[in-house]
Order: sequence, then C-alpha cells, then structure tokens
Amino acid sequence: MYITIVGCGRLGSMLAEDLSNNGYDIAIIDRYAKNLEILGSGFNGLRVKGVEFDNDVLIEAGIKHADYLIAATPFDNINITVALVAKKIFDVPRIIARINDPQKKRVYDSLSIDTINPTELSAYILKTRIEENLK
Amino acid sequence: MKSIIIGGGKIGSNLLKTLKERGYNVTLIEKNEEVCHKIANDIEADIICGDGTDLDVLNDAGIKNADLLAAVTGKDEENLVICQIAKKEFRIKKSIARVNNPKNIAMFKALNVDQTVCSTEVIANLIEYEFDRDICKIVQTFDRGAMVLMEIKINDNNCWLNCFIKDLKLPAECVVASIFRNGQSLYARGNTQIMLDDRVYMITNHATFIKIKNYLLGGGKPYVK
Repeated sequence: MYITIVGCGRLGSMLAEDLSNNGYDIAIIDRYAKNLEILGSGFNGLRVKGVEFDNDVLIEAGIKHADYLIAATPFDNINITVALVAKKIFDVPRIIARINDPQKKRVYDSLSIDTINPTELSAYILKTRIEENLK
Repeated sequence: MKSIIIGGGKIGSNLLKTLKERGYNVTLIEKNEEVCHKIANDIEADIICGDGTDLDVLNDAGIKNADLLAAVTGKDEENLVICQIAKKEFRIKKSIARVNNPKNIAMFKALNVDQTVCSTEVIANLIEYEFDRDICKIVQTFDRGAMVLMEIKINDNNCWLNCFIKDLKLPAECVVASIFRNGQSLYARGNTQIMLDDRVYMITNHATFIKIKNYLLGGGKPYVK
C-alpha cells in the first residue's frame, strides 16, 4: 500500500513514522526542509520538499500510484487544494483531509472532501472522560 | 452588475476603485483589519473584514446576487478555494482568480476556474515587449491602428543594414516615410542606403506592423504573405 502524506507537522510526521514502521510505503511532502527533519533518521520513506499542491512535487512523491492521500497541513486552504488536485487531476482512490478550523468543515463538505476533525474528536473524548468520572 | 472582490492588496484595492468609478456595485472582502480601514479611508465602498473562504462572510457580501467574483489574494490556494466554493456552493456565473505563481495556471484550468489572470506572467510579457520595442515600435497610432507610424532602429544585427530602400522586400501596405540620421530627417528615395544607427520611419497599419516586426525579429527570413 502506497500512502502520500502532505504536511510534515506533528500529525503528519507521527502518522508517517507509525505507518512506515508498520511496513507501508510512505512519501511525505512539506514546503519547509526543517519540518521534514522532525522525522528521525529511522524513517525510511520518501521525503519531498516543495509546494504541497505543485504538480511536479506531487508526482515526485508518487501520487500517480498512491492508494491514499492524507492532507495534514495546518492550513485548510492548502489541504483543500491538495485534496482537489489529488481527486480531480490524479484520481487518487482515497483522500482524507485534516480540518483545522472546525468552521471550515462546510467548505470541505461542499467540495465532497472526506475529512477528520481533530478538534471535534478531542472535544468528544474529553467530554466522554468527564462523563465517565461522573458515573 | 454586482461583483465581489476578495483580497485588498494593491490589485484588489485598485480593482475596487476602477469598478466603482465605472458604476458597478462592488463589495470587497479583506482579512486584515488595518488594511480594511486604509482602503475605507481612500474609497467609499462596501468593505467586509473577514475570511473570503468563509461561507458566512461570502453570504454577508451578497454572493447570492453577485454576477462576478474576483479572487485576488496573494495566496494561490486561497484564490482556488474561493473560486471552487463560489461555484459549487453559490453557483456564481463567473469567477476570476489571480494566479501568483505561473506554474499553478495549469492546475487552476484543470480544476475548472473560469478565468485566471497571472500578474507575474503579464509583467514578464510586458518586459519582453519592451525588449522588442528596442528594434521597432509604434510612435503614433491613428484611428485605432488603421494607420500607424512605426520606428525601426538600425543596429548591427538588423538585416536592413546597408540595404537600399528600393531593394527592401516590403509588404504592399506600407511606405518608408523618412529616415532620421545624425539629427536630420532624410526623405528617403529608392537609392537611399540604410546606415548604422539610422531610425527608419514607416507609415503602415497595425497588422502589417506586426508582420514587419516579426520579419525583423526573425533576422529577415522571407516575409510570408
């Protein structure tokens, strides 16, 4: 399974290392070399430095044969743009984007982009924990 | 006509001014509050301080009744997202996006943005045109190009250097009016020879001007009728 991850921040880098350790083929893109250094020397996937939605950068990161694309930058507009490019230009079968500003969920939805919402998830988990303690 | 501009930089604010002057109903959306105040002091127009990719902000700007939307922020991803939601969510008739990096033009086209304007490319083309002008340029235009006075500078590489006027292979729709040499105007006849640093003035029309220009830029390859 080949997975292209866009954005090597806390979420992207953690996911990349974890998946890579579990035997998946990973390529990770970030426009800042410094972010790519977060990955330790143990990471044996492909690191690509460049503008996240640039055609050449995405091709270098193997988007043409990717089974999954994860848009995990901390910028909603970049995640939306990458997801649209992956879907409409490169026909990537599965695309998941990270929502940063929960208010932007409507925009992702209206453009039919599959998402995860870390803020909502954290809030939900916190609420469940609090409620558990009350029992 | 109702239009919405997103991005209050130099392009956005000038566009707002121009459209206002032409009597359009325009609303500008800009993120930065300080920039909003500055524009509001300059131009009397509807300005909304907010994120142009936010559906509520677009609603407030009256996108439902808008005929035209121009996304002219400095970020390509923002302009793309704005045009996409304007189309999908609000079914706007026409959207125009500014593309900052010429490399992204193909992406905007592939994602069906109606029209793109790349200022970087436009400026590059203008500069290229200025280089062309070194060899020949239009000095005066009459009646929107029906007649033009063109100037040709004769440098070392010009294929007309040392030619006699009578030997020039010229299109039918032009005539050599004068040659300017050493601060004097010569009234060129067939036996006048073109010398280095001459400025040759010709009367022609706009279409023939382009043919002559291409002929000279091509180093004198036969002019095709």
